[in-house]
Amino acid sequence: MKSLATALIGLLLVAAAPVRAADPAQAQSFIEGLGQRAVEILNEPDLDADRAVAQFRTLFRESFDIPTIGRFVLGRYWRTASREQQQEYLELFENMVVETYARRFTEYSGETFRVLGSRGEGEGDTMVQSQIVRPAGPPIQVAWRVRERNGQFRIIDVSIEGVSMAVTQRNEFGAVIQRNGGRIEPLLETLRGRITAARQG
Amino acid sequence: MNGTGRLFRAIAAAATGIALSACAASTEGQLSTVDDVNDPFEPANRVVFAFNEAVDTVVIRPVAVTYDTFVPEGIQQGITNFLRNLRTPIILANELLQGDWEGAEVAASRLFLNTTLGLGGFIDIASYAQKEYQSEDFGQTLARWGVGEGPYLVLPILGPSNPRDAVGFATDVFADPVGYAATDGFNYARAGATVVDLRQQTLEATDELKRSSIDYYATTRSLYRQYRLNQIGDGAGAEAMPDIPDFEDIPEDEGAPVIDDGSAEQGVPGSAIPVASE
Repeated sequence: MKSLATALIGLLLVAAAPVRAADPAQAQSFIEGLGQRAVEILNEPDLDADRAVAQFRTLFRESFDIPTIGRFVLGRYWRTASREQQQEYLELFENMVVETYARRFTEYSGETFRVLGSRGEGEGDTMVQSQIVRPAGPPIQVAWRVRERNGQFRIIDVSIEGVSMAVTQRNEFGAVIQRNGGRIEPLLETLRGRITAARQG
Repeated sequence: MNGTGRLFRAIAAAATGIALSACAASTEGQLSTVDDVNDPFEPANRVVFAFNEAVDTVVIRPVAVTYDTFVPEGIQQGITNFLRNLRTPIILANELLQGDWEGAEVAASRLFLNTTLGLGGFIDIASYAQKEYQSEDFGQTLARWGVGEGPYLVLPILGPSNPRDAVGFATDVFADPVGYAATDGFNYARAGATVVDLRQQTLEATDELKRSSIDYYATTRSLYRQYRLNQIGDGAGAEAMPDIPDFEDIPEDEGAPVIDDGSAEQGVPGSAIPVASE
């Protein structure tokens, strides 16, 4: 009897689940797959830094929905930007993210990546919980917000110890625009400079 | 304990705030909106922030770097463990005040196990028994009691805070039984060690952040508030996740942007593009 009741409750829960929700297990294996690819890149014999960065750039472009993140980060200022500014901004944002993180990734040493589980988030997104275990110090909790579109999974936010990178970036860009009298051009100017510097560094 | 000792303890504990610039105080349980930075005193806060950065650059960071370079990792870990054990009575008190019995049980076992088998706290034996360190403070307790954070404040030396967390911090310092039991000399040493220990732990993260941010003040402010929110929720963190719209569902044409230099704050009346999280 007990198992029948459990089965019924389970059925009800399934029926009540939102239709749009993607399968969290699939999102989880997407993140696991990314972790494996990253490890493969880092473990390649005779890997030179430039080639590693190039490979990470590709990995980033394929796995992050950078236009969605970029637009969220610009917040209400997206609407006040001209179409040309919007286009340039998205390009600059993508390059900034890729340059910043691709290089950082190749600097990692001795850490291991472990996916712990996943759950639904918002309307149809999945939060995949993971840990980066360091040789010293406590593990770092990292959650990946994954969205499915047309059968493709993409990361739209990364939360480190409960801190959303998208929100942090949005607050920062918002502050820069506000301090420049609500103009977007100075932010674009700064981003251009950053990217040039990162590529030379 | 005399007044100077107490003041020094306060300052030291506060400098902890600098070290933890990313990790300090709180909220009503949720960021009101993603864009509300809650910073009416921003000009003054920026001045204090610049002062703190200068003190950090000239004094605190160099000491932390020296410590990081010359002290073996095993000993650093032992010192971190020891300092955390000294904080455990106050953590236990806050767990009880928050009605977190499970947390209180963990804190009590940690205090007992680490003080005895852990040789006075140098070895974190309890963590092997899945009793992990969790930081609690009176600012978090006040948040649990429903006290609002108040405006964002950058305190001299102490760093990012707000009225609630500042009160919480002072309360913890004055209520700490370890401070009353120990000698002044010990309290000074503890305070100094706490500053160096916490700063050392955040060296890499803060260097990286400073390098990659465009507005370090704004980044720190955002991190502080989100981090505190996560701490208050004991790591649940889910409430802080923003609602990120599905932009591709929005027809581009309906949101035709104004063509100007972007200074038109009023934006586009009647635009079909929803502004995220507003």
